[in-house]
Amino acid sequence: MSHRFSVEITKRLPGFTLDVAWTAGDGVAVLFGPSGAGKTLTLQCLAGLIRPDAGRIVVDDRVLFDATAGVDLRPQRRRVGYVFQGYALFPHLTVADNVGFGLRDRPRAERARRVAEVIERLGLRSLEQRYPRELSGGQRQRVALGRALAIDPALLLLDEPLSALDAPLRRALRDELREVLSGWGTAAVLVTHDFTEAYRLADRIVVYENGRVIQAAARAKLLWQPASEAVARIMGLRNVLHGSVVKAVPDRIQILWRGHMLEAVNSPTRSYLPPPESPIAFFIRPEYVRLIRKDRGAPDTTHHMNLMRGSVVGEADFGTVWSLRLRLDTPGVPAQGDFDLEVEVPHLVYEILEIERDRHWEFSIHRGSIHVLPT
Amino acid sequence: MSVDAVSALGLSIRVAVVATLLNALLGIPLAYVLARRAFRGRALVDLLVTLPLVLPPTVTGYYLIVLLGRRGWLGAPVYALSGWSVAFTWYAAVIAATVMALPLLVRTARAAIESVDRELEKAAFTLGRSEWRTALEVTLPLARNGIIAGLVLAFARALGEFGATLMLAGNIPGKTTTVPLAIYTAVQTGEMGEAVVLVVALTALSCIVLVLAARLGARAA
Repeated sequence: MSHRFSVEITKRLPGFTLDVAWTAGDGVAVLFGPSGAGKTLTLQCLAGLIRPDAGRIVVDDRVLFDATAGVDLRPQRRRVGYVFQGYALFPHLTVADNVGFGLRDRPRAERARRVAEVIERLGLRSLEQRYPRELSGGQRQRVALGRALAIDPALLLLDEPLSALDAPLRRALRDELREVLSGWGTAAVLVTHDFTEAYRLADRIVVYENGRVIQAAARAKLLWQPASEAVARIMGLRNVLHGSVVKAVPDRIQILWRGHMLEAVNSPTRSYLPPPESPIAFFIRPEYVRLIRKDRGAPDTTHHMNLMRGSVVGEADFGTVWSLRLRLDTPGVPAQGDFDLEVEVPHLVYEILEIERDRHWEFSIHRGSIHVLPT
Repeated sequence: MSVDAVSALGLSIRVAVVATLLNALLGIPLAYVLARRAFRGRALVDLLVTLPLVLPPTVTGYYLIVLLGRRGWLGAPVYALSGWSVAFTWYAAVIAATVMALPLLVRTARAAIESVDRELEKAAFTLGRSEWRTALEVTLPLARNGIIAGLVLAFARALGEFGATLMLAGNIPGKTTTVPLAIYTAVQTGEMGEAVVLVVALTALSCIVLVLAARLGARAA
């Protein structure tokens, strides 16, 4: 079954206003943004736990809330599953009773069958008679998911489902969660402030900032074409830089930056044609800057675009990659404090090129790796 | 033990048990409403319930006479209609004990209810439970230890009630003389032997209640 839902809500609180509108369909929509942006508030409005001042919430043609029509279904009648941040498992009930909590109105036999089915599917068989305090973080998450999914919700809401866990467990459970969500096929809205998490779990990402939506897009589109510099910063993108437009045509854009003429691919779907000399923001992923080997002769300018020279002025070891801070040879004030570009190289490359000893490099950036950020 | 002592002990237990039951019936819903609902006059209800805790018991007793006495606001119409008044009956002792014990239960139970994570209640709502069923199935079971502690305090308070009982129920041997009143009377009339028996009996009873309550609490945890 194909799902479709739309959210349009305004809620004024002291010192904060939520004013958002977005739509989503099958799969997982992730609400992503900094803490305090209104993501959890949106979930609570969806679940009917908080009443918006105005707006409309429709899930699969069922109107859950409509301020003008005076519709406001109680949370009990919305059929919206909610996985709370700390899971909110009932501590006085066993795993089986937690999972079956929402099935009270069903006949006994059916209820038992459904609980058994959910417990089986989530791999909780041996834990049925345990209490929440006897479970690990990952098991608790599965019980919370099972409890919310048991009622066969029209929409599943997950509030920072991984934030209660330690970092190593988080990564493993993120993948497990992804499997459960795609396996179950329930439309879901998940809240997170961690971009990696958002990216791994989302089909669609809705970016929140300060009570507003600043972009809503399929995840791939968001990653390569953030709608604005604000989105790029919230996503934690590095090397967000500013230059001025030299020439913009539908498929190419030339940018003057730190005395270099950079050539970038213009947005393939939405050509951005700012007039010459207008300021422009763009970003360069640190892992896409190529250092040029010195033992292979002079660089070929047709192969190596956007050639520049600079020195390593800082570095940090991130376990599998080295992050280098490069400062261009070009005179002038560096773009990011005391350096111009952050570059990431794998450990192996760092060793082969002997970067520890050799600090001055020529490097290139493919035009496809310079991403323009429309204002 | 004298006949009067036995009767005082029996009456005290009866009064304390009935007052505790009334406390449970009134106090638990009251604690829930005070903890979880915002309504007009909440501060006033809270004040009225708590007042007997801070007022001298005789003052509370005086108010009870003003309210329930033969010429009281409620007592007068009842007396005019039926020729009966609650004053100076064992029911009066129950009322005095109930009113005096209520703040102890309400405050303890309220704190316990307030400490129940509200997310659990919200979770119950999204799983189809009404507020009423959520209170019965989630909130109150999780506040159980605090409620039990409150009931124990209420029972102890009811058992030991003196001032308000004396004001509203009087000190009629065999009818309204509870153990604390009997002890006072015995000491006043120099019957020290009688006083000691009652003191020991009351102490033993209190110890039994405390031990039972601790067992109940341990099982709930």
